[in-house]
Amino acid sequence: MTIITTKKPFEEVLGAIKEAKKIAIVSCGSCAAMCQTGGTEGAKEMAEKLEEKGFEITTVIVPEEVCDNRVMMKDFRKIDEDLQNTDAILTLSCGLGVASIVQTLEKKHPKIPVFIGTNTEFMGMTERIGRFYMRCRGCGDCLLNETGGICPITSCAKSLMNGPCGGMVKGKCEVGNYEEDCGWVLIYNRLKELGRLDLYTKLRPPRDWSESGHQRKVVWR
Amino acid sequence: MGENRIYSKVGEALAKGEFVLTGELEPEKTCDLSHTIQEAKEMAPYVHAANVTDSPLAIVTINSLAASHIIQEATGIETVWQLTVRDCNKIGLAGMIMGAEALGINNVLSLCGDHTALGDCPECKPVFDLDSATLIQLVREMVDKGSINGKEIEHPPKMHVGGAANPNADPMEAEILKIGRKAEAGCEFIQTQVVYDIERTIEFLEGIKKYKVPVFLGIFPMKSYGIAKGFDMFVPGVDVPKEILARWKSVKTDISDKAQQKEAYDQLNYEFFKPFISELKSKNLLAGVHCMAVHYTRIFPKLVDVIKA
Repeated sequence: MTIITTKKPFEEVLGAIKEAKKIAIVSCGSCAAMCQTGGTEGAKEMAEKLEEKGFEITTVIVPEEVCDNRVMMKDFRKIDEDLQNTDAILTLSCGLGVASIVQTLEKKHPKIPVFIGTNTEFMGMTERIGRFYMRCRGCGDCLLNETGGICPITSCAKSLMNGPCGGMVKGKCEVGNYEEDCGWVLIYNRLKELGRLDLYTKLRPPRDWSESGHQRKVVWR
Repeated sequence: MGENRIYSKVGEALAKGEFVLTGELEPEKTCDLSHTIQEAKEMAPYVHAANVTDSPLAIVTINSLAASHIIQEATGIETVWQLTVRDCNKIGLAGMIMGAEALGINNVLSLCGDHTALGDCPECKPVFDLDSATLIQLVREMVDKGSINGKEIEHPPKMHVGGAANPNADPMEAEILKIGRKAEAGCEFIQTQVVYDIERTIEFLEGIKKYKVPVFLGIFPMKSYGIAKGFDMFVPGVDVPKEILARWKSVKTDISDKAQQKEAYDQLNYEFFKPFISELKSKNLLAGVHCMAVHYTRIFPKLVDVIKA
């Protein structure tokens, strides 16, 4: 699994960091490196572009996983002196990376703003580098045991529990000009193949969103 | 639909085994419904009820509940209020269903609704909290049990709920089994997507017969060659057969007098739909016909003749 990121337009990044002069770049060595938005290469490219625009780069680090608070505590200790001299941090990671940095620095460097140079797209399945697909939305109540391993919340444009809808034409979805597969037809085909159309015929209740109104957490120790 | 739960003319007709004819009204992006009211008046003598659409293609129109109420008040026609799950969550939908009862609306057609991405506010958040089957379930709970999530409604709504079906769906079995879910949810009638292919329609209707939900066949008599061609080109999943298009085209090319053209188009519709409906009726596959040809109210007297076959 990879958190899939794409680069924000450079002009948008410049707009975000325009009040700062001295920038520290934190570039994730894990998912963002795989997506070629972060890692060593992404950091180098961003540093060069910022320097061209007159910014001073105080430090560049490529932590193993920016989203892991433990990693960041350790890595930030190594660059504490540079941070004293930094106006802003630009993060090349997913949104979790920014959250992790803000949380890790909140006591020691609460006044350093943390910006992001990417857009977090989705939790992705990797077919190969450069071909990533959303197959799970992480909704917290997995239906895959009943839908032949194909998620209706993800694969149906309307996240329907009882599809397909009237927007399906020859197995394709009305969203995207009938180029994408209808998720419910994929489910139907798969369950038919498995000899489990009994699961397809089941009337499913609406999704329970009661746990989704606030930030979810998994805390077991 | 037992006699003890008849809430509308449509419900009454079904209970009596009358063959039902419903029309369709498509209010537009306007707060003045005079054109729609005029059409409602024109079709009123011929139909049991008229559907009132809910922002089809996700293009914003006047609210379908408000429109249904105003049309009923102005014309006396009974409406089938179309309600999609696209724009409201369960709280909103249940509130509107109670509102509908208070406004005298006693038929609702549960629809998923075209995706917001297709419409004129593509940036907005699609809801789809319920789907077309679970909305049917909600209506049935509200009407039959007088509750929402088990919580009592002081004066519950009384209305019939229908659903949609698409005989053109490919794969067809996926659609047939889906209708089974709607039937289980408590669907009281089905109005189908427009059909032109009799073989396919028979196969589909035979397939859903076991669910014992009365079916109103969706038809679209074509007012002109332009409409026929547009329908064929722009309505996804519905193909107007080539020989039909050719017949309509010949009216346009061969007849120059406008009045004669109109008569010829009306006659073609009559000749096409009469045997079509007649065959399906003879196989006991239909409980009614739902005519979706908006702005073509002059066809209704002929349609009444068509369905009498």
